[in-house]
Amino acid sequence: MAKATNKEIIERWIDEPAPLLPILHALHNRDAYLSEESITAVSEALKIPIAELWGTVTFYHHFSREAPGKTAPRVCTGNICCLNGGKELLDSLKSEGATPMPCSGRCDDMIPVIIDDKVLVGTSKETLKHRGTPMPVPNPGGFEECVFASIREPGRATLEGYQRTGGYAALRKAVTTMTPESVIEEISKSKLAGRGGAGFPTGMKWKAVADAPGNPKCIVCNADEGEPGCFKDRAIMDHDPFAMIEGMTLAAFATGAPLGFIYLRYEYPETEAILENAIEDARASGLLGENILGLGLTFNLYVRRGAGAYICGEEGSLLNSLEGKHPFPRNKPPFPVTHGFNDKPTAVNNVETLASVPHIIENGAEWYRGLGLGDHPGTKLISLSGDIQRPGNYEIPFGFSLQTLLNEWAGGPKDGRTIQAVTMAGLSGGFLAGDDLDVTLDDACIKPRGSFLGAGGIMVFDDSRDMVEIAHGAMEFFAHESCGKCFPCRIGTQRITERLDGSDSPLELNEWLTEVRDIGSTMKATSACGLGMAAPNVTDSLMKYFPEQVETYLTDK
Amino acid sequence: MTEFREDLNPPKVCNMTLDGDPVEFTEGETIYEVADRHRREVPTLCYDKRLEAFGACRLCVVEVEGVRNPVASCTTKATEGMVVKTRTEVIEKHRKTLLELVVSENKSVDVDELSGYASQEFANLVNKYRARTGRFTGKKSGTSNTQDKNPFILRDYDNCISCYRCVRVCAEQEGDYAINVMNRGFHTQIIAEFNKDLRDSNCTFCGQCVQTCPTGALGDKKALRDADTEGEVKKTRSICPYCGVGCSVDLLSKGDKIVGVQPAMDGPANEGALCVKGQFAFDFIQNADRLSKPLIRREDGELHECEWDEALDFAAAGFQKVRDKFGRHSIYGIASGRAPHEAAYTMQKYMRASFGTNYIDNCSRA
Repeated sequence: MAKATNKEIIERWIDEPAPLLPILHALHNRDAYLSEESITAVSEALKIPIAELWGTVTFYHHFSREAPGKTAPRVCTGNICCLNGGKELLDSLKSEGATPMPCSGRCDDMIPVIIDDKVLVGTSKETLKHRGTPMPVPNPGGFEECVFASIREPGRATLEGYQRTGGYAALRKAVTTMTPESVIEEISKSKLAGRGGAGFPTGMKWKAVADAPGNPKCIVCNADEGEPGCFKDRAIMDHDPFAMIEGMTLAAFATGAPLGFIYLRYEYPETEAILENAIEDARASGLLGENILGLGLTFNLYVRRGAGAYICGEEGSLLNSLEGKHPFPRNKPPFPVTHGFNDKPTAVNNVETLASVPHIIENGAEWYRGLGLGDHPGTKLISLSGDIQRPGNYEIPFGFSLQTLLNEWAGGPKDGRTIQAVTMAGLSGGFLAGDDLDVTLDDACIKPRGSFLGAGGIMVFDDSRDMVEIAHGAMEFFAHESCGKCFPCRIGTQRITERLDGSDSPLELNEWLTEVRDIGSTMKATSACGLGMAAPNVTDSLMKYFPEQVETYLTDK
Repeated sequence: MTEFREDLNPPKVCNMTLDGDPVEFTEGETIYEVADRHRREVPTLCYDKRLEAFGACRLCVVEVEGVRNPVASCTTKATEGMVVKTRTEVIEKHRKTLLELVVSENKSVDVDELSGYASQEFANLVNKYRARTGRFTGKKSGTSNTQDKNPFILRDYDNCISCYRCVRVCAEQEGDYAINVMNRGFHTQIIAEFNKDLRDSNCTFCGQCVQTCPTGALGDKKALRDADTEGEVKKTRSICPYCGVGCSVDLLSKGDKIVGVQPAMDGPANEGALCVKGQFAFDFIQNADRLSKPLIRREDGELHECEWDEALDFAAAGFQKVRDKFGRHSIYGIASGRAPHEAAYTMQKYMRASFGTNYIDNCSRA
């Protein structure tokens, strides 16, 4: 078959909303890289100046601009993969043009390598093979679950299996027996809050979108799961995709939005295929598109694939990326609830948040609140990885003990080892260690310790690990992902990284500490978005829990 | 109709507290605008009042009562009852740290003032905050493009601080979209299309990027030819001699030599804008080939210098001769597009009254 021409590719997408990313991907897929000729054609068709489009293309890690491009292996060198030999695997694949990529969301498995649109995992060149997303194990504590309640049902990922196991009952219930206002009321009462990490009350967000003037409103599912050590959204999308889609449809019903996007991270190509098939099946069965369930509801849903940029998980950047603009974060206010996609009211919700919604509508707000321990409402998915016997995704009740999760549910540290530290919020919450490992998993307990639960990624490091080296890997990630817009983050992440690898940095302890603290405090106070504000949590907690390791590191340099 | 009438309502006047003083502001103003109007010296490097506020440098952060983190005053709207402090010890310390960080990424702080209108902003702030401490050593940022062969714009990105004022002025003021930002984080760099030279891009060499650059990373190559010429730089306000728009310019001179041109930011016709001719094409003023006396072609066929009175009499006699021989419509007057309205009016009046012809035109029509 002849390769599609630029014109054919552009015409396929140009009349859809948010066409830039799919056009770029189609050209990237065709040639394995984006040529100047392709970019010029897109520039002309979408009327984006060439300099701007070129700048935007170069922003994304995974868009190649020369051969062999996307057919060459990309090897994960995230924090956890480095513990497992990621850098060595990268070296062994160098002859095939391999390049490193930041954490690609498979920390519960062996080291992932992306070649074209295939994801292989392994620990050496010889053992690389394809393997699907691991299914979460049954709840080790026997707690009632919400998001994972039905995920292990056979066939759940198909529309037939989903409906057979209770799927779409919530949408039917909402559309036939509830009003949009009462859906929002129920979600508000459930105390469901943003599970991507920010924790904004979902009901309040939906109400703001419903009340805001301007049409068409929009629902965006943030599936850019870019936080290192987080892989829970992939498990939901691969094994229970319709739960998230039904959640989005309920959000559309509640807010009056006829348009929706799933913004999916580049590193999940198989998930993209699963979602595209699920949307097609739902549309064919009258569960998406026009006149849903024959009851007049309209909701058109599109998948848009990112191209490798952690910052696109920040909602302002995500919206700019969808709109085909340079993905810098937006200045707030205004917020997306009034000025979102194309400046129209938009609810940006995380995958886990949306996948909780059908269960809450079906079982009621009171049921959901009651799933948490004590006063803490609801549940949270935790992605556990690193030096632990049984890494994986666990659904915990809020307020659950970290030690119980680590030692009982996940089997504790590797034989003969003790747990030295864990991260919170993937990397953004920095480390917890020592007595602070005796926390319960809720922000009321964690925030006073200078950290936060965030998206629920927890990496475990045992006593064999050099914490300065771990902190260096973390800061290197933030420097790699800093968008370059605001000064404190752009320069600060670079300088702290240099202070952790011994290059160009003062070696006298007090001078080192003062510089790292001053940079961190200015980043936290003045950065324009959460990336720059959170990155210094890594060094703050390193200096707090491991002062002797910092001293040894400086002495040895 | 209602909406239209609402637009005509006068803007709402609100109240806030600025460093302890009660001040009034108009709804829609940013904190920075209010503070600037009240002569608070809020530092900034990415702000240019002609451009949309961007919020990159974070030097303009201020404390707002009830808000946990400082906010960027340039992108935050003032609201009724807001209590703002523009200069606390904590804020000033953050500003100094930010400036120390920027100093650490650049090749040099000091650049020649002939580099451009805003080129001293960075050095002035660094001096004010005593930020030359040498702290935060590390890699320098920026990929210089000094080999770009264009004759006008120096692209010394070793001094670039990624404030994107050049990118924004190119898009928002000039509408060229010739430059943008490539890569991200510490590796951001300002590029023209496909990272090639400016002359292979949409650049019209208007020079606005040069004049808004706060560090001299973008420099006026023509003015910088005289960087080592003796003497203080003197600015003389004038009007660009090229077209009828009447852009205000400041002629830069050293001694009796004009060394460069800068746009007047307060020029009513241009507000800081110029085109390539007004900005860079001033060499003719002191060119040795420039005529300094009128010339008459005498009977020997050669041009000879003369005095103005003789030249005017000679021209008048020539016109007279043509009119007598071929009639009044044999003479045709064309006003220069560089002439202002008044001069064009005088020209047509002169043609009609003196020669009695309506055959007039303006070269801008061609």
